[in-house]
Amino acid sequence: MTSITSKTSELPFANLLKACMAPAAEGPYTLVLIRHGESEWNVENKFTGWYDCPLSPKGVEEVIQAGKLLKEEGIKPDVAYTSLLQRAIKTLNHVQEETGTMWIPVTRAWQLNERHYGGLTGLDKVKTVEKHGEEQVLIWRRSYDIPPPPATADSPYHPANDPKYANLNFPEEFTETLKTTLDRVLPYYESKIVPDLKDGKVVVIAAHGNSLRALVKHLDGIDEETIPNLNIPTGVPLIYQLDGNMNVIPSEQAIAPLRGHYLGDQDEVRARIEGVANQTKK
Amino acid sequence: MFLLKYLLTSFAVANAFMSTPSQKTLTPSRTFGSQIEQRISQVRKHATRASTSLAMKYTLVLVRHGESTWNKANLFTGWADVPLSEKGVEEATAGGKLLAEEGFTFDVAYTSTLKRAIKTLWIILEEMDLMYIPIVNTWRLNERHYGALQGLNKQETVDKYGKEQVLIWRRSYDIPPPELEKDNEHYPGKDPRYADVAEEDLPLAESLKLTEDRFMVDWEKTLVPEIKSGKKILIAAHGNTLRALVKHLDGISEDDITGLNIPTGIPLVYELDEDLQPIPHSDAIAPLSGRYLGNQEEVKARIGAVVAQTK
Repeated sequence: MTSITSKTSELPFANLLKACMAPAAEGPYTLVLIRHGESEWNVENKFTGWYDCPLSPKGVEEVIQAGKLLKEEGIKPDVAYTSLLQRAIKTLNHVQEETGTMWIPVTRAWQLNERHYGGLTGLDKVKTVEKHGEEQVLIWRRSYDIPPPPATADSPYHPANDPKYANLNFPEEFTETLKTTLDRVLPYYESKIVPDLKDGKVVVIAAHGNSLRALVKHLDGIDEETIPNLNIPTGVPLIYQLDGNMNVIPSEQAIAPLRGHYLGDQDEVRARIEGVANQTKK
Repeated sequence: MFLLKYLLTSFAVANAFMSTPSQKTLTPSRTFGSQIEQRISQVRKHATRASTSLAMKYTLVLVRHGESTWNKANLFTGWADVPLSEKGVEEATAGGKLLAEEGFTFDVAYTSTLKRAIKTLWIILEEMDLMYIPIVNTWRLNERHYGALQGLNKQETVDKYGKEQVLIWRRSYDIPPPELEKDNEHYPGKDPRYADVAEEDLPLAESLKLTEDRFMVDWEKTLVPEIKSGKKILIAAHGNTLRALVKHLDGISEDDITGLNIPTGIPLVYELDEDLQPIPHSDAIAPLSGRYLGNQEEVKARIGAVVAQTK
């Protein structure tokens, strides 16, 4: 019942109409990204891609710590997404364990896999530099759209030979670039993950260097020249707040060009960001 | 038929002489070879059973979670979400290794919303290199809710209420323990993981019968269609939900089911025909027709151990 002292410009039903038209949850929405911890092949300095190597013991410690940081920050995921690769899944498991969310629904999706490294999978990074030259390897590693040589159908690293991908079809000669990775990450993000965010759920994505590069390129509008060189340190939670239109609300603690912020000691984080760059230096 | 078997056998023998790559390396020949070996052993076992070789066969594997910290402290647990003890982690690892050694694989796994079962499942899938398969968490697979007894020490409860009363609460088919109050910390309505569960479905205490009733909803609606679609399923769950399931599969009576002990961490394998009737296995220990994996003497000893908790 509107009182007789209310403004005549306010219709009695205006607030009711507004309430009916508002979305279920208006935001801000919370999205947590985390790159898997150090893996055994990171340690051995090999091109990994879709090879399913486990976390190293140090990687396990990294992600337990990441889970603890999330817990301290009071962030409790409602739903989680990860790839089909155990280093990401294990990372997520530890995060869930530390945040007391082992029961939440988890979707494992190949679209969140690391970029496939084609015929370079399994090769040592330093030896590959010795063979092909630093520049060529840098192009393969850090170009936006120049593919490494492909893996052929008889290679053990071709998805056709892996039961994980039994119901999927990949080209007989298969390799990926950051661009093609983005081409399969973003549609997945839009169709599966955004609806969960809009539902007001806190989403955590445990994934890989390049699949997360694809996401942050989109979230932060980073250009093609910058994104291949952007280093996302392993095992450090990266928090994004999104508004009702799924635009990033820039964080005060952000380290450019990202607008989300990393949890933990910021000096340590900056040092870790530098660290990833050094893998092909002797 | 014999020629085929000969060829398959000689392939498997040849494969066995090849060097075995490390567990984590997935090479096509190793996968194919071990699939052949598994198929041969299945064919052999099949020949010793009564069913016709044309019957559609499904494999269903059940595993009860390993020892929890409250099992160790001899406390009634129910829906309290306590972790595995170190021993429980070891049990799960051993269970996973057994499944990996015998060449099992799964397409999907079901478990409860309680971490002791979830962790058991995670450990098993890691041992089997199957971390990528989908996992479905459902409250309907949760342990029986122990009402107001949750958190109480089993021996102290015996001292307080008498052995007989406690035995009735523990092992009666349809007499539930005392209900807990809705303001009790263990009331599921206070837990966000049950936010989507209708209030009338949230238990204040459960008997085995009530546990069975709410589990069977999931069995009929979800699990049966999944099994019949050909998916190989692993269920990691709890003592009483697994009792409910084997009671149904093996037609065990109400009197017999309450005393049936399912040892923790040991995979229990059922082969089902096209009507989802169990095909009895030669290693089965009555009244079950499924078989436990691993050392059979150890299994029999472990079945005896669960009874000793309130002596």
